[in-house]
Amino acid sequence: MRPILECQRLTKKYGSFFALSDLNLSLDRGQIVGLLGPNGSGKTTLIKLANGLLIPTDGHIMINGLAPGPDTKKIVSYLPDRSFFNEHLRVKDMLSYYADFYRNFSTEQAKKMLDALEIDKHSRLSSLSKGTREKVHLVLVMSRDADLYILDEPIGGVDPAARDYILRTILTNYKENATVLISTHLISDIENVLDRVIFLRDGQIALNTSVDEIRTEYGKSVDTLFREVFKC
Amino acid sequence: MPWNLDNDRPIYLQLMERIQHDIISGVYKPGDKLPSVRDLAVEAAVNPNTMQKALSELERCGLVYSQRTSGRFITDNTNMLKEMRTELAREHIQNFFEQMRKLGFSDEDTLEMIRNTIKGVYNETDS
Amino acid sequence: MLGKLIKYDLKVSSKLFILLHAAYLFVCIISRILYMNKLDFKGPEEPVIISLALFISVLSILMTALMIFTELHIAFRFYRSMFSREGYLSWTLPVSGTQHLWAKIISGYILAAADIILIAVGILILITGRNITSAYSLIADEMTNELGMPLERFALLLFTFCVVSCISTVIMIYFCIVIGQLFPGHRVLCAIAAYFILSTALQVFTLLIMLAFGIFPGHNFFMAKGQTMTEYMTNIFYVSAVLTIIITIVQYVITHYIMNKKINLL
Repeated sequence: MRPILECQRLTKKYGSFFALSDLNLSLDRGQIVGLLGPNGSGKTTLIKLANGLLIPTDGHIMINGLAPGPDTKKIVSYLPDRSFFNEHLRVKDMLSYYADFYRNFSTEQAKKMLDALEIDKHSRLSSLSKGTREKVHLVLVMSRDADLYILDEPIGGVDPAARDYILRTILTNYKENATVLISTHLISDIENVLDRVIFLRDGQIALNTSVDEIRTEYGKSVDTLFREVFKC
Repeated sequence: MPWNLDNDRPIYLQLMERIQHDIISGVYKPGDKLPSVRDLAVEAAVNPNTMQKALSELERCGLVYSQRTSGRFITDNTNMLKEMRTELAREHIQNFFEQMRKLGFSDEDTLEMIRNTIKGVYNETDS
Repeated sequence: MLGKLIKYDLKVSSKLFILLHAAYLFVCIISRILYMNKLDFKGPEEPVIISLALFISVLSILMTALMIFTELHIAFRFYRSMFSREGYLSWTLPVSGTQHLWAKIISGYILAAADIILIAVGILILITGRNITSAYSLIADEMTNELGMPLERFALLLFTFCVVSCISTVIMIYFCIVIGQLFPGHRVLCAIAAYFILSTALQVFTLLIMLAFGIFPGHNFFMAKGQTMTEYMTNIFYVSAVLTIIITIVQYVITHYIMNKKINLL
């Protein structure tokens, strides 16, 4: 089967700054992958390239063998690192918006999750707390039956209890043939959930290996290894 | 409640140990059906693929077996379970004596102390 | 998909638009009842002319404000939904840049055209009172002669021209915003700069063309040739229509290209 995400000599420059340089990467289906790296290492740039929000300066990025476009956006479910709602809208408006535009969105599942989180579907997004809004985002993104989930800092702004709920949500909704790419710097919270980790440094891949390999080989947790590799 | 896992050893090994322990200590009875991979993974808060790997390993050891359509079951080979339990107990005892030796107790001294402890416990409950 | 995009766009942007235009129509109705209907053209001329001049200037300020609001509103909606935080959602919908652009052109055009239509309705409310129509009928022949056609027909032509041509306004707004996106450091500033540079350049260019065709106002005034107002207007209309069509097409092509090939969200 084709890799779900593939980068060949992928390069992105902002002015004279290389956010990504000559990056080669191939992600198979059916795994949960952590995209780890310090601030400014290129995590968000890679994610935005995969979603077609940026155009590569050089090289290629492909989703299921296709350059990012309407066809790849059908199968990619993306959680950005910032709120992307028009905040005058209500939660239920967002449900119908998603249902209207994404064929693989399940309103029923989203409603169930919102009920479990005790989020009122009639409240305006502007009236919700930051953490609650992040949960609404995640509910929308995870209620799609996608091939690739790209979650940029999904647990950054929420309390530990909500963090557990979010991880459980990811695990419960995860389908066998889907790939989940999670970018974060809160490694220890999610490392048990990951199959594989990719360390990014200065726009290049510093490490790409499975979590159990790290533990067998180094006798260390991913978190500890990360702290050593990126020691300041 | 996520399972308590160490940070420095492969996760699937720790999952195997935990399930093995649950089987031997009777949390799962012989012949019981195991929860699905996904449910176990969610319960333990680990990756389903890792849980799958742990269960396949347990299957290879013969502790669980899978039936194509209906899921995974605990072995009903009670001899094997008994053996495993004895084996585990032996390991614990050996570890214990090892620790005592490090503290400078001879095996006899240790044994004596065990006897006294048991007596003490009985006396306490008597009085 | 196109229909859904337009639907959501109008849903989000309609509230304030409807409110302001309803307020405008309300002002028009009130003015008709309290002011226009009480005008007496048979009495002394001077007070009528002074008060009418004052009233017309206030009302034209109101109409201009309404038009500027509508244009800013169209610009703001386009910028916000495509290039601010909300752009993260818009650009990850399974929709192409071209579809986004057309959805915005159509929804923007609907607002711009509705703006002009409602302004025209307001004017009609103001001037259809019996006292006004009868006063006008006294000078109707003279006006018809001067215009080369009845005033009603002239107004209808002008109105149609405005409604049709506001598509070029909409495309020009989008063009400027999209040009601003090419300058990552100062996107909004460059969009505004693009707007002013473009409109100045267009004016200069139009004047030059008019000079070339000999219809520049001060230079070769229509009265001198004995033309009617209408003939003069028609000439201007042809020149500016052709010019607008060409410029709008160029702007559309560039906007289309950038929307499909050069999107870099911050």
